[in-house]
Amino acid sequence: MSQPSTPGDPNGPRIGMVLGTEDATPTSFWFSVSSGASVQLDDLVVVQTQKPDGRPVQFYGLVDNVRKRHEGVVFESDVEDVVAGVLPASVSYAARVVVTRVDPEDFIPPQPGDTVQHARGEALKMALSADKMEDGAFPAGLLADGQIMPLNFRFVNGEQGGHINISGISGVATKTSYALFLLHSIFRSGVMDRVAHKGGGGQAGTAGGKAIIFNVKGEDLLFLDQPNARVVEKEGKARATKGLSDERYRLLGLPMEPFRDVQFLAPPRPGNPGSAIVPHVDQRALGVTPFVFTLREFCAARMLPYAFSDAAQSLNLGFVIGNIEEKLARLSADGSGAALLVSDWKLDEAESVPDDVQFDALGKVSIQTFGDLISYIEFKLLEQNEGEGDPKWVLKQSPGTLRAFVRRLRGVQKYLSPLLRGDLTPVQAAQYRPNLLTGGYQMSVVDIHNLSGPAQMFVVGVLLRDLFEYKEKNGRQDTVFVVLDELNKYAPRDQSSPIKDVLLDIAERGRSLGIILIGAQQTASEVERRIVSNAAIRVVGRLDLAEAERPEYRFLPQSFRARAGILQPGTMLVSQPDIPNPVLIQYPFPAWATRQGEVGSSDTRSDEEQGAEILGL
Amino acid sequence: MPAMQIRLDPWPVDTLDGQLTLTPFSGELIDVETPRWAAVAPRPIPQRLERVYVVDGKQRMEARLHVTDDFGREGHAGFGAYVAGAVELCPHGSRQAELIDIRARRVLAHAPDLALSPLLLSPRHPQTGELAYALMATQPGGHPLAPMQAVQGAMLAHEQELSHGLASAVPFDDTDDREHLRALTIQDGTLRSRNLGGAVVGCVKTIQTLYLPTDRAGLLAELKPGERTPILHMRYDNNRVVRFIWYVRLCEAAFYHHPMSGVMRLEMYAPEDSDFLPPIVRQVAGLSGELLCKLASKPHKDSRSPQNLIPTAALEQAMGRSMGSLELVTRRIRSHLARELGLDVGGAVA
Repeated sequence: MSQPSTPGDPNGPRIGMVLGTEDATPTSFWFSVSSGASVQLDDLVVVQTQKPDGRPVQFYGLVDNVRKRHEGVVFESDVEDVVAGVLPASVSYAARVVVTRVDPEDFIPPQPGDTVQHARGEALKMALSADKMEDGAFPAGLLADGQIMPLNFRFVNGEQGGHINISGISGVATKTSYALFLLHSIFRSGVMDRVAHKGGGGQAGTAGGKAIIFNVKGEDLLFLDQPNARVVEKEGKARATKGLSDERYRLLGLPMEPFRDVQFLAPPRPGNPGSAIVPHVDQRALGVTPFVFTLREFCAARMLPYAFSDAAQSLNLGFVIGNIEEKLARLSADGSGAALLVSDWKLDEAESVPDDVQFDALGKVSIQTFGDLISYIEFKLLEQNEGEGDPKWVLKQSPGTLRAFVRRLRGVQKYLSPLLRGDLTPVQAAQYRPNLLTGGYQMSVVDIHNLSGPAQMFVVGVLLRDLFEYKEKNGRQDTVFVVLDELNKYAPRDQSSPIKDVLLDIAERGRSLGIILIGAQQTASEVERRIVSNAAIRVVGRLDLAEAERPEYRFLPQSFRARAGILQPGTMLVSQPDIPNPVLIQYPFPAWATRQGEVGSSDTRSDEEQGAEILGL
Repeated sequence: MPAMQIRLDPWPVDTLDGQLTLTPFSGELIDVETPRWAAVAPRPIPQRLERVYVVDGKQRMEARLHVTDDFGREGHAGFGAYVAGAVELCPHGSRQAELIDIRARRVLAHAPDLALSPLLLSPRHPQTGELAYALMATQPGGHPLAPMQAVQGAMLAHEQELSHGLASAVPFDDTDDREHLRALTIQDGTLRSRNLGGAVVGCVKTIQTLYLPTDRAGLLAELKPGERTPILHMRYDNNRVVRFIWYVRLCEAAFYHHPMSGVMRLEMYAPEDSDFLPPIVRQVAGLSGELLCKLASKPHKDSRSPQNLIPTAALEQAMGRSMGSLELVTRRIRSHLARELGLDVGGAVA
């Protein structure tokens, strides 16, 4: 697999020599920086040494420490004498290299005095193992000097590895922005097509790629299909301050365009039963589809467990949930339409009866709202048979457990009611059913930021479960990327929940099904270990320094952990299996709007015309 | 009867000499600057003095040899190394001090009647440099110390050339005012060899011999830092070297030190004619207080403070380094001999 040796350009400038006063090892060494040369952290360098038999060995590595000090003086106060001009001293400028690759794999140390050069061109490819990636390389960002840092798509799409995990402090780490940039790069760099072509049709290319993005914070992601008005100015400025040869999108070979084929889904605004279904968003007026589930779907698709985020806390409660889930699923088989029809709700025995009970043609009670469904369950468990309940529903569980079950259901009633409706026509039900995979859109943004905690858990859990079941049936041909922030909420380390089970399934088996989780969290130490450890690609933005010392970040060498505390927005440390050390990259300002104020003027119509469309005139 | 008095010599006991030995002197001293024996205040360093050089030299023997030449003649010889170098500094502190011209030279010093050829000792590894020993004949007589003396002589000659080559010339003539004092050399130690005509001032760290008569020596204890004694014209009994001397105080003496500690003797070459004091000598004496107080070392950094000047210490270190590690040189010599004799001595040699 070893390539023919590609030493650093023999005519390229020497930037230093391997030091003889510090240990030089095959994995790390120091070099003295030549006068006039400048070496900074993250520079990629190459050293060639010779074995006694004359064969060359190249070391490719990354500068992870640079230092200057006075040489030849002993005391700290000597600096004053040096500056005063009475004490001669020279400045020693040295850099430490962590080796990313030895080629061929002869792990001898470099020789003190060996020439160190910047890795450019072929040498850079070797340093970043881009030669191993072949067609799988896609841009993950730019190195400090404007060269492309490649990521191996085969470690993203599940072929050799899968999943991406991003950690960082909210706000400054720009986790979601980077996740979106990676999606943009995956969809628009053509890497999916190249890999699919090479794979001989086993997988669909870019056209088959889908992404599901959960928007958990503000309405940041509701403008992904709109150009960003500030991107040209921002990128121009970045090019000037970073001294790049070209604008960053062009260097990366990516179009500076917003996302295409995006659908936006939002929960309906809460209202009375029977009210119109309008998306619950504030900033974006057009192109957002509300999504609701019918009560029949709720029962048939066994969504009940996702209404309980802490079901596993009690074994008995879990048993009740499983039992009721089963009962509801059987009920849903009866009849059609959005509402659930029940024949055994004896209203005269019930303590509380809904105000506007509706009956179907056969005299069955038609349950129209989630509240009514809870009332029905309450009747079956605690009221029927003079408080004994229906024995088939109770299954000898103690009234305390049953009451706890109902109480919990009542607790989430307010949050889930807008999402679960029994009063929809079949047309409405089809129109508002969230369709993430077969609707002809490449990306689906599911806005859940307006939902309360339990409702968010419910939506994410139900949609991911659906996705998982769909992919189990249909195979891995299309790759589906799921972007989910706040993993510590959905898959906490020390609790169990139905949604965590789904996420664990995706993390552990999604790879082979073509479901790729691009997960993000503030603190990886609070996320289920198996989810983080299954991610082949790990990314770190600005970290809390205490967090950076936790074992989850041991993949970062010490100097990188210290640096993770000072990373600026737009800069990330990326670790991938092909390169043994993380690499610092920068990525461009989003070309898509991230809030209403950034939307570029692609819509040239007047406000009146747009208003007229909103009002349906 | 005076009370018993104990005062410390400031230098540590493990140095070769103390700072103050104070042997009495028998020779001739003439007041050449002023007959008034009192402290002279320092004068500011003139702007046109742009460069001050601190020059020193070092030598060592690397091996004692017994050699036989192609004609079967035997004799003493030695591998020696010497180096002389300088620190260039701006007395006004306007630029950083730099080490200049520090390059070790190696010689094979041998009895003059032997026919030998120079030696080149190549290392096993190309990055560690070659050792080239040039030939140098010692004084005849076959004394075992002759090689060492030859190396030292070579070092002194080299140091002397360097000192005078760097400094401005000192005109020993009343009428010659062409040369101004632009470059001054401070040489470590007493002036030992021939005067080559440069503005070279010798700094003597210790007071081995107290040249002043008892009635005048008291002034040394009274000098304040930077102040100096008047310049004297001095001639030894044996009439060998004639020179100007004066004393400068570099720092206050601590109460537990001998009151004469912290004083340094400075020397410049003098003409035989004891009446004439060249203006440059007077200038050098004037500025010596301020200059040397600037260069004086501190007791916590240098055990031979203040007389071992800051640049001198740095220079000594640099010179020592330029000669390389004696251990490695010895090994190189051994491995060279092993190769000559066709022995395989394995990897134990440099």
